[in-house]
Amino acid sequence: MRVTEHMNFNTVRDTIRRSKERMELLQRQAATLKKLNIPSDDPIGAAKVLEIRTDRVNNQQFHVNGKMAETYLENTDQALSELADIVGRAKEIALGQSSGASANGATRANVAEEVLHLFQQAVSVSNRRIGDRYIFGGYKIDKPPVDVEGNYFGDDGQMMAEIARDVYLSVNVPGVEAFNTDPKSQIKQPSGYWNGLCGPAGDMLELADEPNKENINIFGEVQNLRIALLANDVDGIRNTLERLDDMQSRLVAMRAKVGSRLNGLQNTINSIERQNVVQANLSSSLEDADVAQVVSDLAKEETIFRGALASSQKLIQPTLMDFLK
Amino acid sequence: MGMAGVFKTGQSGMNVARAAIATTGHNISNANREGFSRQRVQSAPNETRTAAGSHGYVGSGAIISRIERVNDQYIEKQLRNGAKDLAHFEEKDLVLGQVEDVFNEMHGDGLNRLIATFFNEFRRLSNEPDNEAVRQSVREASQALVGDFHRLRKEVEEVRRHIDARLENYTTEINAISDEIKELNLKINILENSGAPANDLSDKRDVALKKLATYMNLNTHKDNNNNTIVEISGVGPLVTGGRSEKFSTARSPKDDQGKQEGSLDLVSTSSVQAVVTHQIKGGKLGALLEIRDQTLSTIVDRLDDLAYALTNTVNEIHIQGFTRNGLTNVEFFKPISKERAAEFLELSDAVRDNVNNIAAAAMPEAPGDNRIALVISGLQNMRLMNEGNATMDDWYNSIVSDVGVAAAKTKFGLNQQRDIITQLNRMRDQISGVSIDEETANLMQFQHAFDASAKVIQVADEMLKTVLELKR
Repeated sequence: MRVTEHMNFNTVRDTIRRSKERMELLQRQAATLKKLNIPSDDPIGAAKVLEIRTDRVNNQQFHVNGKMAETYLENTDQALSELADIVGRAKEIALGQSSGASANGATRANVAEEVLHLFQQAVSVSNRRIGDRYIFGGYKIDKPPVDVEGNYFGDDGQMMAEIARDVYLSVNVPGVEAFNTDPKSQIKQPSGYWNGLCGPAGDMLELADEPNKENINIFGEVQNLRIALLANDVDGIRNTLERLDDMQSRLVAMRAKVGSRLNGLQNTINSIERQNVVQANLSSSLEDADVAQVVSDLAKEETIFRGALASSQKLIQPTLMDFLK
Repeated sequence: MGMAGVFKTGQSGMNVARAAIATTGHNISNANREGFSRQRVQSAPNETRTAAGSHGYVGSGAIISRIERVNDQYIEKQLRNGAKDLAHFEEKDLVLGQVEDVFNEMHGDGLNRLIATFFNEFRRLSNEPDNEAVRQSVREASQALVGDFHRLRKEVEEVRRHIDARLENYTTEINAISDEIKELNLKINILENSGAPANDLSDKRDVALKKLATYMNLNTHKDNNNNTIVEISGVGPLVTGGRSEKFSTARSPKDDQGKQEGSLDLVSTSSVQAVVTHQIKGGKLGALLEIRDQTLSTIVDRLDDLAYALTNTVNEIHIQGFTRNGLTNVEFFKPISKERAAEFLELSDAVRDNVNNIAAAAMPEAPGDNRIALVISGLQNMRLMNEGNATMDDWYNSIVSDVGVAAAKTKFGLNQQRDIITQLNRMRDQISGVSIDEETANLMQFQHAFDASAKVIQVADEMLKTVLELKR
């Protein structure tokens, strides 16, 4: 083969260029500690990384949503428990005053005073707030849902929060649902995009529109008791007993519901945290350079580069000219 | 043959040797010139004459028959093709690098992040639909998203303008090179009609042809009159012997093959149709046109689709909702058409002017109603793009990944083509390259031949002397 000087020098240039190109890439990886610096480094990986980043941003928000839901539900649970206590106390009073043995008109008039306090307490608990939002108002969170007479002004709006991708959880218990044993529905869910939105949680208001079932309202019943006590109406007092009992079971059932939501919420929060760790790992394996590998490759490349330079010196040999003296 | 003939013979040898030495010198001087082919002196025996008093023929020295270049036209052709593909990949790599920069989301905040933020702001709003500060931040996030759509659109447009500027420069260069080839054709014809090969001019023409080939797919051949004909593949002649065609550019409206409004068309006198934009393939022009009219047009279309889908779906839900002030049928984005949607994407005046016009509720007078906000945030996971096969996130991510794939493919092709060119250049050098050692050896060889031929004259001179002294 004919070998010309031109070829020699081209080979030198070529090896140096290639080596420098590889070093440049490795240096970029070493400097950023990332092997994915531009999409063309790994186009499919790049799309995956973007996807994971979106998930991460979403998960942060889901975490915030979850914490907010937790606050709401815990406060609701607390309020429901207080209401149950109030109903329990009213039931005790009714029980104590419903027999002729230990009670008479005077005692009944006395305890009627206490029942009035219970009523006021129930109204105040029902108007509990987080910040300036009334938790039992349904969607009407800006005004007290229950007035001094025990009338409900809220609605049955369920505030849903997305606590994980496509997992929606109701964070409130509308007063209408907690204060009545047989609430009537008011709000219709619109159709279209709403389909499936509230499905997974399966936790929308159960509106048992059974026509024959009697609806008992907590404020009305406490008032009934008070009036019966004032009127010294033993039958009336007895009548309230069973209904207060129903009311209490209703509140306990509501608490159980809130409790199960809290459980589910906790599970979801945990699983999001686990997911974050898994995805951080995946993203790191796609994006991050193996530092040890990069540094050792860089060292290797440097050796190759030095070799190329050294061999260039040898390639540039004296020509026949030098010997023709 | 007479005594004087020997002088002549010696002189012819000196002539040949001198020419050979001069050619060697020429080779050495041009050793590093691009596209130079080493030259060789071909000599032939001079006419023989009968020797006096015999029937034998005695040679009478040498003459220079021709000085030819050592060159393989087939390799030259391969080199032209190789150079064309290399230029094609280099050009593509350069422009795709710019496109990739536009869509590089690997380091900072890009549209991907902003889309996620947009939907998460609606999630925040669904937590606190009555909080004005959150409404403000929904609007900020939306404005940032709109701004980034505009940025992407503008930067892609910038790349397009850059491509057009290059196209314009290239047409000037193509015209200059075509002219050069035309001139060389004329000169070579004149020289070669006298019978001798025009070595250096042929080298020059080969270089010019190689340069011209980097711009587009060309066919080069020789006609019966030994004229070099350069044809643009699928269009028409560019250089025919002593005639060359002209390239120019012209701004023109959008066409149906991906060329956008206001982008340049290529116009050539090579073709009767004049406009040759979509017939030009390969080389630098082919690379630029392909990226401008295919890659970028697809990207812009997809961005427009995304902006259009975003506007429409968000609005469709938003108008069903009720604002903080109980208004309904309020748009979130200004309604736009699909055409250039990413460019015209804008918040509606109502939302821009007052954050209370963001509708979070599905019924009036319900400050705690978050259903609209919830449904809008839910759009993030809905497969609204590509006929129900991709979410908006997927759609945008696939743009980024497609740009990456195109850039990676080009880089791979470029490296491969560099290897091929290296190999072809070695092959050419093996045949046509100048080796200094070889030339030095030749120099000595020819010098000795020169010396020896001079010696012949000296001997002839002495012979003549001997003959003249016979008389005494």
